[in-house]
Amino acid sequence: MSRTSRRTRRLRRVLILVALLAIIADAIFVFYLDRRVTSQFEGRRWTLPAQVFAQPLELYAGLGLSVDALEAELARLQYTRASDLTRPGTYRRRGSRLDIAARRAQFVDEVREARTISVITGSGGVTRLVDMNGTQLPIFRLDPLLIGSIFPIHGEDRIVVTPQEVPPLLPTALMVVEDRRFETHHGVDLEAILRAAWVNVRAGAIEQGGSTLTQQLVRSYFLDERQTLWRKIKEAVMAVILEARFEKADLMNAYINEIYLGQDGQRAIHGFGLASQFYFGKPLNELSLSEIALLVAIVRGPSYYDPRKHPERALARRDLVLKLLSDFGAVGEADARKAIKQPLEVTASVTAGYYPAYLDFVRRTLRRDYREEDLTEAGLKIFTSLDPRVQATAERALVDELKRLDQRYKEKQVLLEGATVVTAPQSGDVVAIVGGRQTGLDGFNRALDAKRSIGSLAKPVVYLAALETGRYNAASLIDDAPIEVKLPGGKLWRPENFTHQAHGLVPLTRALADSLNLATVHLGLDVGVPKVAQTFTRLGLDKTPDPNPALILGALDLSPLEVAQLYNSLANGGFRTPLRAVRDVLSAEGTALKAFPLEVTPVADSATVYQLNRMLTKVTQRGTGRAVYNRIPPDVIVAGKTGTSSDFRDSWFAGFAGNHLAVVWIGFDDNRPTGLTGSAGALTVWSNLMRRLDPESWDATLPESLTEVWIEYPTGLVANPGCADDVVSIAVPKDSELPIKPGCGEDPLSDFAERTRQWLEGIIRQ
Amino acid sequence: MMRLTLMLAMAMLLSGCNLPNPYAPPTPPRQVPGGAPSLPPSPESQTPVETLPAPEPVPEPSPAPPPREYQLSSASRSLVDQAHAQMVAGNFVVAAGSIERALRIEPNNPLLWIELGKLRQAEGNHAQAENLGRKALSLATGDPRTQSSAWRLVAESLRARGRGPEAREAEARADALVLR
Repeated sequence: MSRTSRRTRRLRRVLILVALLAIIADAIFVFYLDRRVTSQFEGRRWTLPAQVFAQPLELYAGLGLSVDALEAELARLQYTRASDLTRPGTYRRRGSRLDIAARRAQFVDEVREARTISVITGSGGVTRLVDMNGTQLPIFRLDPLLIGSIFPIHGEDRIVVTPQEVPPLLPTALMVVEDRRFETHHGVDLEAILRAAWVNVRAGAIEQGGSTLTQQLVRSYFLDERQTLWRKIKEAVMAVILEARFEKADLMNAYINEIYLGQDGQRAIHGFGLASQFYFGKPLNELSLSEIALLVAIVRGPSYYDPRKHPERALARRDLVLKLLSDFGAVGEADARKAIKQPLEVTASVTAGYYPAYLDFVRRTLRRDYREEDLTEAGLKIFTSLDPRVQATAERALVDELKRLDQRYKEKQVLLEGATVVTAPQSGDVVAIVGGRQTGLDGFNRALDAKRSIGSLAKPVVYLAALETGRYNAASLIDDAPIEVKLPGGKLWRPENFTHQAHGLVPLTRALADSLNLATVHLGLDVGVPKVAQTFTRLGLDKTPDPNPALILGALDLSPLEVAQLYNSLANGGFRTPLRAVRDVLSAEGTALKAFPLEVTPVADSATVYQLNRMLTKVTQRGTGRAVYNRIPPDVIVAGKTGTSSDFRDSWFAGFAGNHLAVVWIGFDDNRPTGLTGSAGALTVWSNLMRRLDPESWDATLPESLTEVWIEYPTGLVANPGCADDVVSIAVPKDSELPIKPGCGEDPLSDFAERTRQWLEGIIRQ
Repeated sequence: MMRLTLMLAMAMLLSGCNLPNPYAPPTPPRQVPGGAPSLPPSPESQTPVETLPAPEPVPEPSPAPPPREYQLSSASRSLVDQAHAQMVAGNFVVAAGSIERALRIEPNNPLLWIELGKLRQAEGNHAQAENLGRKALSLATGDPRTQSSAWRLVAESLRARGRGPEAREAEARADALVLR
């Protein structure tokens, strides 16, 4: 035997061995991949972030929305005008009448199928509601606006759609543009790869991809984004396995729900269901040809073809998609031409209809009852109290005023900030939260986390405590005189009035309206600081403030939300209702899991609170809050209080009309002085906000135990509007004894003057 | 200006009837006598009404006497009916949701607060039932019938918690209001 042949034989044996080993390794590899791909894909359950909804707009006869306002609400829900109303999500307007093809919608108590209704409006709002048979409807709710979702840390957000919810054009378009032989290939398309390679070599750059939809799905579902040869091989093998194991229709549906289509800060937009909401604010099955074409265009490069950041690129590629669709006969030539003429029509901002500050409050509420995974994965549906109209108005009012105020400051590095909370007092619904001037940014939520000195916002609590003693009423006189108070640490506290003047004896109602510090300190000390501190807790503060005398003038750091809880108990007539953002939680299947019911607790006598609220209406009519009527119609009664902390670090306004309560704070994050008083910054925001909400008067009915009296504003003496120039009306208990202004009415009791004098002296001694 | 004229007209109209005028200063600018609910309008208290100046740039709350009998709007009515049906089916959570929808439309209607209170009572949440009854009472000024049913709700919730004497007192108030 020659040495050569021996060597050849050995080489052959080695080769066979190697080949065998390779086949075994390969088989193991494929087997392993098959196990992994099949099990993962079969048991696939996308993690479904909880979807969060705003409160639905209720339509009923008597609703005070004009036909224009209603149309604006439909636009917010991305309803489009159409003459035939054959598709849900469309409407038509005929003068003062709106015909609405309402979408199918999930509510807590029912799934309401798509339905067409007519809304007839008059000068005062909605007058009638009928269905298509002309039958009167007492009430009808539109579909609730999707305002966001609670997605996990890795940021994958999606809305899963079923094949029935996908417009048939979408898979067709995906095949035409991304993978023309999808129906016939086995996962990998060699011809497409070669063609792409040829094009790329000629162009000297990567211009075409040869990946099939299946490969793209594998890449997104199983692999990371690294571009290595090994990964390419794995991808191809897995694609072939998927094709062998699953139906084409399954793969297409998986693709539609899986693929990455955009980015919004931390939030990655996955699947066409969410992309449709993200870019157009409406469900996938309502998209037009040009909108579908845009989404298909974005697939190739969600950041490169971002229609908001690079509209020209996105438009060019969309038109290319439309042309391809027409070339391949997927749509008619005329339709494609018409679609090419359409502008992009994506919703204005990335965060349109997305309210991070409000969602933050929702998340915090839910974390008490749910694990993080339940919220980010279980597909819960969360129904909240957010009122999109109020939220949009609140954002605008705050941002506009902050921008206006910016001009006052030379230094532009640190910007003035602000926050707003709006509630519906009787239900305790939080209807809007603005957490800062960048309303779309999920950053520091000042409405919840900025604990700032409340200043004079504390005064109504002091006056309520005083009225509750029964020793005071709105006309009682208190001494607005200099005072020194020894603080627990031995320091001497010398509060001052804003004007550095003392006013002598003033009635309670004036002391509150003009926010007199000295009078209030006298009052608060007489009532007792611990009693004042305890009143804060009773009204809804979840801690008892330190009973330091300075508490009387608001040495207490609270968030706008905490202030809203306190004032809500006043606006709600002495009933405390926990402020709530979440009403109900539904499972992915639509069963109610949890409700946050409306609960009330009486915390102060409603007649006493009524007296205080009447005094708070004097703040806006006569006192430091007068400027609200620069913007609010004079016939609308509102109650409120200005607040300023020491050195003008914080500007506050808290107040309510009949239907809404709002708390506004303005200041710098680093707590430097702003130079703004409560009546400058925050008050302007508050009154602009209220004006745009068409406020109803605060019109609580006079409790039976009270009576209304006119008193002279400076002196507190009972006087008719006919016999004194400067009178205000107050409410006092029916058995109150009030001194009369001389010359105002006859005194039937001869000793009345003497009794008045004694009574006055009694007050002064206090 | 029109408002002013209107208010004057209304003031005069009211002065013609034997109703207290909300804008007029309380009858005697003397002491407000303790607890006497019905003050006969004295002649001199009527006089200023004729020449009543604009009371204040901003009108006062409750310009009209409170309604004598609260009613549900048709929207609220249908939601309350729906809630009753949902209660019969034993679904209290959803039924409460329906009444809350009505309350968002008419938050000041005491009848709705009573409905919610009755639901809580049926559900066994007696403390809330009482609170909701008291909330209704604070809104039902001038409507004895509604006040009476609110007191009855309070009485039931007290009785359910074994607070017999208080319950009887509330019941007596409820009775007195409808017999009046």
